[in-house]
Amino acid sequence: MAAQRPANRPRPTLLILLAAALTLLTLQFRGLQPLDAFQQGVRDIVEPVRTLSDRLTDPIQTAWNGVFDYDALRMENERLEIELARMRGNTLTSEADTELLSRLLSEVDIAYSDFDTLVVRLLGRPPGNFSSHMVEVDKGTDDGLKEGMAVVTGAGLVGRLDQVDRSRSLVQLATHPDFKVGVRLVTSQDEGLANGTGTEGLVRIESGVRLDAQVEHGEVLVTSGGRSLFPADIPVGRVLDPDSDADYRRSIIVELSADLENLSFLKVVLPVQQTGVVR
Amino acid sequence: MSSRLRVLAVLLTALIAQATLLTEIRIQGATVELMMVIAILAGFHGGPERGMFVAFFAGLLQDSLISVPLGLHALVFPPLAVAVSSLEQRMVRLTPVADALALLLASTAGIFMIVAAGLLFGLSPFDPSVLLTRILIAAAMTTAIAIPVNRAVRWAVMGGLPPEIKIRSIDS
Repeated sequence: MAAQRPANRPRPTLLILLAAALTLLTLQFRGLQPLDAFQQGVRDIVEPVRTLSDRLTDPIQTAWNGVFDYDALRMENERLEIELARMRGNTLTSEADTELLSRLLSEVDIAYSDFDTLVVRLLGRPPGNFSSHMVEVDKGTDDGLKEGMAVVTGAGLVGRLDQVDRSRSLVQLATHPDFKVGVRLVTSQDEGLANGTGTEGLVRIESGVRLDAQVEHGEVLVTSGGRSLFPADIPVGRVLDPDSDADYRRSIIVELSADLENLSFLKVVLPVQQTGVVR
Repeated sequence: MSSRLRVLAVLLTALIAQATLLTEIRIQGATVELMMVIAILAGFHGGPERGMFVAFFAGLLQDSLISVPLGLHALVFPPLAVAVSSLEQRMVRLTPVADALALLLASTAGIFMIVAAGLLFGLSPFDPSVLLTRILIAAAMTTAIAIPVNRAVRWAVMGGLPPEIKIRSIDS
């Protein structure tokens, strides 16, 4: 049993601490810079230890995954085998799909591969239990990255940089419920606002697209650019459910073109004027 | 070494452990809430006053490490420490099993409180389909790691407190 302690009155002290926490939360939501700097400073102090630990604990992590994620690894292996067989059997179909995408993108003068990008390596999930739809990458402000930059793979949009420290960054995946991006339907040229659904591989367009707009199943979507932080014409995905029968509010379900579950290297899209960064 | 320095050493060590090794060790996506278990054990060993202060700073460090607004964990941990301290003072007899169950209960309640506070402040990174499973697994993992953490927290927070006084009857 713990030692007996002198009698005290914790309630006023507890109220003061709760008030302090609420004040900090309020100031943080109001965007007080010193608080962000404090958080970033703590992460920067811990960062070298994390990098060293990542290297040292790699065998432990591998063993841990072997024990506790064996079923997941076996399923992943089976999935990859099936995928490989399917891809071998459907090479022609894949090529046709690629050609279709290229043709659709070229129709609107899209030069997706021309974006200036910085390659980053995926480190894994950030600390804590509640960082769903977030991943950590190995570059930060020292490499010229800034919050809000688009993150892509060769297949299309992955997310955006949400928190950028000196040598690490957090990427908010496109499926995150807080993720929003302006999109344009390539065929109909309608524009809307897509946001994450919290479901793997899917985003939803709930505003912007007219009720009477002709949206086809499989239609390609790209980022709309304009006032958005993202450059225009980054492939987002294909329409899975056009919700053509909606009579009040349309909710178009889009399947992302990039596979967010099996990421290893990503590309951060740099602003046009930022060309001096070493890649 | 003064008690404050010992608490600081334990908190910083825990922060590094949470940021490194424990982040890699996950079951179904869930990981140990090390700073929370320190808050709970600080309330248990150090009493409400000392426990809530340790819990508050543990919460601030946790907020700095992960991508949540500063103050979210600091809002949840102190009441948790006070509740655990209050419970500990009311328990007539403590056994290891009762301690473990109480810790499991406190961890589960604490994680629920963090989720609730997060939702209250507009955070929505919680996947509803896996939330309950993740909370229960995280609470179980947090309880499992409490044995080594318990010694460190007791060492840190009980420095300077008077030793336990046993009252015996005259007849014995």
